[in-house]
Amino acid sequence: MRVNPNPLPDILAAVAQTRQQINTDNQQIATGLSVNVPSDNPAAAAVLVQNADQTSQADQFQRSIGSIQGEVQNADSTLSSVITSLQQAISLGVEGANGTLNAADRAALVTEVEGIQSQLLSLANLSYQGNYVFAGTATQTAPYVLNPSSPSGVTYVGNTGVNSITLGNHFTLKTNLPGSQLFSSASTDLFKSIQDLITGLQTNTGISTAVTEIGSASSAIDSQRAFYGNALNQLNSQQTYLSSETTELAQQQNTVAGADLTAVISNLSTSETSLQATLTTIGQTAHVNLFSYLK
Amino acid sequence: MSSLNASLATALSGLEAEQGSIAATTNNVANVNTPGYSREEPVLVTSDPVVLTPLTFGTGVTLQSVESIRDPLLESQIQQQTQAQGQFSTLTSALQQTQVNFTASTSDIGTAISNFFDSINQLSTNPSDLSLRQGVLTAAGNLATSFNSTANNLTQQRSSLDLSVVQAVNQVNQLTQQIAQLNGQISNLQNLGESAGTFVDQRTQAIDQLSALVDVSVIPSDKSLTLTTTNGSPLVVGQQSFQLQTQSNLSGLHDIYSQGADITSQITSGQLGGTLQARDQQIPAVQTQLDSLASGLATAVNTVQAGGFDLNGVAGTNLFNPSPVSGVGAAASLSVAITDPSLIAASSDGSVGSNGNAEQLYALNSQPVVSGHTPTNYYSSIVFNVGNDVANASAEQSASALVLQQLNDQRSSVSGVSLDEEAADLVRYQDAYAASAQVVIAINDMMNATIAMPTLTG
Repeated sequence: MRVNPNPLPDILAAVAQTRQQINTDNQQIATGLSVNVPSDNPAAAAVLVQNADQTSQADQFQRSIGSIQGEVQNADSTLSSVITSLQQAISLGVEGANGTLNAADRAALVTEVEGIQSQLLSLANLSYQGNYVFAGTATQTAPYVLNPSSPSGVTYVGNTGVNSITLGNHFTLKTNLPGSQLFSSASTDLFKSIQDLITGLQTNTGISTAVTEIGSASSAIDSQRAFYGNALNQLNSQQTYLSSETTELAQQQNTVAGADLTAVISNLSTSETSLQATLTTIGQTAHVNLFSYLK
Repeated sequence: MSSLNASLATALSGLEAEQGSIAATTNNVANVNTPGYSREEPVLVTSDPVVLTPLTFGTGVTLQSVESIRDPLLESQIQQQTQAQGQFSTLTSALQQTQVNFTASTSDIGTAISNFFDSINQLSTNPSDLSLRQGVLTAAGNLATSFNSTANNLTQQRSSLDLSVVQAVNQVNQLTQQIAQLNGQISNLQNLGESAGTFVDQRTQAIDQLSALVDVSVIPSDKSLTLTTTNGSPLVVGQQSFQLQTQSNLSGLHDIYSQGADITSQITSGQLGGTLQARDQQIPAVQTQLDSLASGLATAVNTVQAGGFDLNGVAGTNLFNPSPVSGVGAAASLSVAITDPSLIAASSDGSVGSNGNAEQLYALNSQPVVSGHTPTNYYSSIVFNVGNDVANASAEQSASALVLQQLNDQRSSVSGVSLDEEAADLVRYQDAYAASAQVVIAINDMMNATIAMPTLTG
């Protein structure tokens, strides 16, 4: 068979292919990715879209956790203050129940207990970043307002709403307890027990009963406080989980689309060597033919 | 017996034949780099002998013809492969432009969807916060913009592909005209019994160019050639060319007509076939998927909005303007319906601090709201489809390029000019010419000797 007298187009096509390979390798080295456009690996590109979405979600969950951590922490420490205040009220009540006190002494105690009462009112009306924390979901209005005609001295104007928030693919967390459940439920009403103590001290009757009421209100709040402690623990462990998820997603991204730099660099040097060799060959042989030797 | 004059004539035939052969060689050398040129070979035959009983004398050599060396089967395979090459390289470069829109970036639709749902999750942490609500509106706006610009890019791309349809049709018409003319020149020469090699080369070259543009069937007939599209619409019949026409259709794109019939969908290969495939099939398919995604998402968000309450405790209204009922153009027209952030229906019970409905909105990102898929999964399937289309077209393109290269190799090995061969031929013809010339000199000497013979006197 006759030999193709003009192999240059073939050689040039090979050169073009080698150059293309060099470009691809260089791009992979520059971006660190083997999938730079969807056609590089369509299935991997689809996985990358989902990976990017999950990574974005995980980052957002971390931000959301950061946003609500403060509120939950505040609620928790506020409840701790409430319990401390109730302990003080109990001490005052025990002191007042001592039969040796005269009316003037008890009146002084009443003043102190009233101080605690208003302190508790302000604690129950805790506001964090413009929201009333214990108002259920009626967060723009202070949940407890003074009401002398009420047996507890206050009225709850919040609602019973509880918010849950998604903070993981299969993780939602309740973030609040309404005051009606915490402080003024049908069984234990903190404000009524304090009001009872004040009335008791004023009338010198039923002080011990009031002290018992306050004690049970205090332990009720203490047990509910576990809700916030629990929430904080869950937020912390979710944070840890999310950062490990983010790491896993980054690893998955790298597995799916990361360039194997060692292989790419080795390919690149092979391609460059082959390109040089081909170009040298063209330079040396292409212009040799019989005409060159005819004299 | 033979005469010196007869020998002179024989030597002369040698000189003429070698001169003709050298002319063919010279032409080959001159055309060594001419695209589509087929090398020519002189066809030498011995002249009819003279019989002088009992002897027979040769009368030299005749240059019967100069023939172009080509393989018609190879040429037709090259034309076929050129069509495939034209189709897939056009399709590949068109779809590569399409996939730019679906390449991961900070503003691609996938990122915009993630950001939208992220902003809702953030709102969920503090549903009455106006700046977080504004964040949701901004993310919704970015999502709409991302859909709009992607959809507009695709429409733009179809328009520019439409422009190249018109250009390609013009080129097809020019080439068919040229081929019809060449057909005339070739049949004139062949009627005169002459070689039409050069014109045949030009015609082959023109058919190759035509094949790069459109699918062509070549039907050789006696001394002429008929070209049709693969579905049978005539392009060239003998010396007559049939022009293709373009006409704008309802969607503002051009359809292709032959003899009054719409043949747009029947053109399947060549550059024109590839362009039409991208313009009428592949890109519209992507547009349809984008529209489904946009309308599915907008409808789902609006439905959840309607089930909740805004910051004023009023039932929620549309967040996105409703998509067209047909779904067509949903991506291009996606837009945010509200500018007041307090209108986002985050609350499920009407209280300002409730995030119940924001959570419902957020949950949409994991619900099958678009043709049974979550928004992100649906988007990822679009990315897969687009990437796959490019990868397939590009693989076909590489494969046909390789085959075409091999076929061209073969054509070159049959028809290509080898300078080694031409140099060797030149030496042969030169030597033979010199030898014939020497024979002429020898005969001349003999003639002179004869003339100088002393006259016999009686």
